[in-house]
Amino acid sequence: MTIAGQSGTIQPWSNELGDDFIFVRALPAVLALGVLYGLIGGWLSPAGASARRADGAVRRFSTTTVLLHALLIVGFLIALPTGAWQYLGGILDVQGPLPTYLYYRIHYIGAGIVLVSVFAFVTYWWMTGDRSLLFPLDDCARYLRGFAQELPSMLGTRLAQLLRLDLKQPAGSPGAFSFYEKVWSFPTFGFGIGLITITGIVKLLRYAIPIPGPIVWADSTLHVAAMVILIIRIADHLRYTLAHWPLVVAIATGWLPNRVGQTRAAPATGGDE
Amino acid sequence: MRRIAGLLALVWCLPNLVVAFWMVQGAFVAKTAQHEGIVAQASLLLGGLLIALFTVLLARQALRMLAAPEASGA
Repeated sequence: MTIAGQSGTIQPWSNELGDDFIFVRALPAVLALGVLYGLIGGWLSPAGASARRADGAVRRFSTTTVLLHALLIVGFLIALPTGAWQYLGGILDVQGPLPTYLYYRIHYIGAGIVLVSVFAFVTYWWMTGDRSLLFPLDDCARYLRGFAQELPSMLGTRLAQLLRLDLKQPAGSPGAFSFYEKVWSFPTFGFGIGLITITGIVKLLRYAIPIPGPIVWADSTLHVAAMVILIIRIADHLRYTLAHWPLVVAIATGWLPNRVGQTRAAPATGGDE
Repeated sequence: MRRIAGLLALVWCLPNLVVAFWMVQGAFVAKTAQHEGIVAQASLLLGGLLIALFTVLLARQALRMLAAPEASGA
């Protein structure tokens, strides 16, 4: 049974099922491609390169990070709307302008791109040893305090009361990324992307190995929950970065402009370089 | 450039609001109540409202960028 045969009109059972089999068979190659990209990115990343440009701009993201982030955006732009439509179309009982199998096919293309990007990122971080978006757990109280201080005062005060944080104490420097990015943004994004990746792979594996129905049902529910988390996180991520424009410049070019080098939301030190 | 980014963000808000509306609407239709139960209804309602809230915050930022691109964002 050739891939060409399955992707065309002469598929074995139905168009949807044929695409499922193609994707599950391609999964090892998709994951391997991601690991390969990560390895190449890790090898190409210069060790000990200058973190400051002549004009004072600070290196915040490596070229690999910029490219993989862009790849992740492309993957989400394809996978998220098609995934949302599959779910909501079912709830609303609406067919939509395209045949159902095309939503699945386009969704699988987007999901494949997301998988490549996620596995490339993990491999790249493992290769370079970069942990700049994580915070040490033994310093958790200080990071939570800094996070509460960065929030709007109404939210920050409530969080401080809830966690018994003393907002009068200075939180110090967050390092390469802001407290908001380290305590809230990256962990929640990581959770959402991790959940959608694992549940998506399990959903797909049922076409290769038998998985009990209740597990598939629970897995599908968590996949949808992860989709909702990611829709919320993307909106919040865009709101935060657009409000701190130099961060947008940094993820597009890798360089954080000099004039914001000392602000709290855009720390002076480099990011993952 | 900031205006274009603001415009794109505003465009991104539209499908988000549609999704939020459909989720909230889906929480109250008989089919969800009969087939999926109260937990699914509550999840749809909470998810839809949260998406709407964060989308409104993003839309507000996008509108600020469209109105005064240089003033919005450090």
